[in-house]
Amino acid sequence: MLRVFLMVLMLFISVPAMADPPKRIVSLAPQITEILYALDLGDNIVGVTTFCDYPPEAREKPKIGGMSNPSLEAVVSLEPDIVVMTTDGNPKEFQARLETLQIKHYVFTARRISELPDAIRDVGAALGVKERADEFAGELQRTLNGFRDKKTVAPLRVLFIVWPEPLVVAGPGTAVDDAIELLGHENIAAGARLNYPKYSLEEVLRQAPDAILIGGMGQEDMKKVSVGLLDRLKNTSAVREGRVYYMGDGLFRLGPRVVDGIEEMADVLDEACK
Amino acid sequence: MKTRVFILITAVAGIFGFALLAGPRPINPFAMSGLDREILLFVRLPRLVVAALMGGGLGASGAVLQGVLRNPLADPYILGLSSGAALGAAAGIVLGVSFFGALTVPLLAFAGAIGTGLLVGLMGWRRGGIWPERLLLAGIGVGFMLSAVLMLFLSVSSNEGLRRAILWIFGDLGMSDWKLIPYGALLIGLGLAIAQRRAKALNTLMLGDDLSHSLGFSPRKETALLFVSVGLMTAASVALGGMIGFIGLLMPHIMRFFVGTDNRILLPASALGGGALLVVADLIGRTVMSPTELPAGMVTALLGAPYFLYLLRRRDVIG
Repeated sequence: MLRVFLMVLMLFISVPAMADPPKRIVSLAPQITEILYALDLGDNIVGVTTFCDYPPEAREKPKIGGMSNPSLEAVVSLEPDIVVMTTDGNPKEFQARLETLQIKHYVFTARRISELPDAIRDVGAALGVKERADEFAGELQRTLNGFRDKKTVAPLRVLFIVWPEPLVVAGPGTAVDDAIELLGHENIAAGARLNYPKYSLEEVLRQAPDAILIGGMGQEDMKKVSVGLLDRLKNTSAVREGRVYYMGDGLFRLGPRVVDGIEEMADVLDEACK
Repeated sequence: MKTRVFILITAVAGIFGFALLAGPRPINPFAMSGLDREILLFVRLPRLVVAALMGGGLGASGAVLQGVLRNPLADPYILGLSSGAALGAAAGIVLGVSFFGALTVPLLAFAGAIGTGLLVGLMGWRRGGIWPERLLLAGIGVGFMLSAVLMLFLSVSSNEGLRRAILWIFGDLGMSDWKLIPYGALLIGLGLAIAQRRAKALNTLMLGDDLSHSLGFSPRKETALLFVSVGLMTAASVALGGMIGFIGLLMPHIMRFFVGTDNRILLPASALGGGALLVVADLIGRTVMSPTELPAGMVTALLGAPYFLYLLRRRDVIG
């Protein structure tokens, strides 16, 4: 009798795992949207945030609000089978609200590059695309290992600027910091105690970085707003010898394109080494 | 009284000198490297001058406003000028205005603050002059309206640049440079000079309109003139480095404990005290968590509020 009961129970437990991927997925963050597309779940996405702009098709999806202020009403009205959210940007209270409304959700917790492959495996398993996720994560892991093993000839002291005025830089515990370390260089802001500290201009002058990377939205815009800062850093070797590089936003999102971000950083830092 | 003023001036001068040389990595003025000199002249000194100007302008504005409005809770930001400055800067960024280069944001902020000042002044104007109660209410109303428009801007815009660029409004001295200082010094100096010349009239205004009138002043006109001085100082200070709380509201009260209520002495004393407090707050802000910087506005309140409460407990006479 017990055996029959257990078998019936097992049947129920295993059914969800073997089922097809959820048909209606809501993504609460741009990097989640990118991961879902990479796992071929793009067609199943029924709602995204206003920040989800990649891949371009994602822009056409219905919007549920911003990352820090998603609209609960908009999410509920989309009747999602599952909501995928992140601890890096979504409010914790939103998860509690989903729980009270008994809406199924998955919380993505990775914040570091090294955690990304496993996190993708986990989210894939939860969404019924385990095979595709394992394959994608394996590929990602190999690419990351490739970067790590290709040791740099001359380690550089790097400063990654997120915004010039007020001066905000990428500190420890960020994907940018991970990427700099992975490539065998040194982030001069690694000693700051915050992820994205408001950094001291005086310290930048004193620490004299070998290369300055400026990340962010459109490169033209960043060039325009950085003029004042670079003028004030004109006596550092990075500025004097032209080792200032503008980069895309790949490293600001811990998703599939983080690889492109590392690649881009590797290219400019290789150039800086010359 | 003379000794107290002398002590105050000496203390402020000492604070400025100390703040210039101290920091996470102190500079010895007798053995400076090239880098030290660059940091001293182009990072610390402009920062210190901006802090002194802003703090001075806010301290004096607060003292004038508390007198004009006969309200101990008056703060230069209550007139809505800071909301106007933030909105001006945000609007400029959204519309992509950049013809003044690096000066664009401060200039737009100044324009926003002055425009708001004119609007508030106009609303407070009746029968040939400005009425304090109308001015106060108009300032609060306009301020709320403009903050709401700014919030609307920020919530509907997905422009990350706008969010970050607007961060400076919450008080950032870290990027201060020499470019704005001449204009800031001129405007704040002008505001201080007007207020100082009308300090006697301000003394009578505090006694009430009737007494002021019978002592030979025209209360409405004096109020308008003093409002212009507050407007100039507040707008210039917001444009220099954003909003710094506490100083405008409480520095005049702290100084009343020291030098009394005569505005001829209280105004310069509040300016000196405000400048010194902000300089010290900025020194602490750039030192304690170095290389991360804490906003000077926060340090100002953390430092000033307990001291103010201590004075409040110790003294019998209030303002």
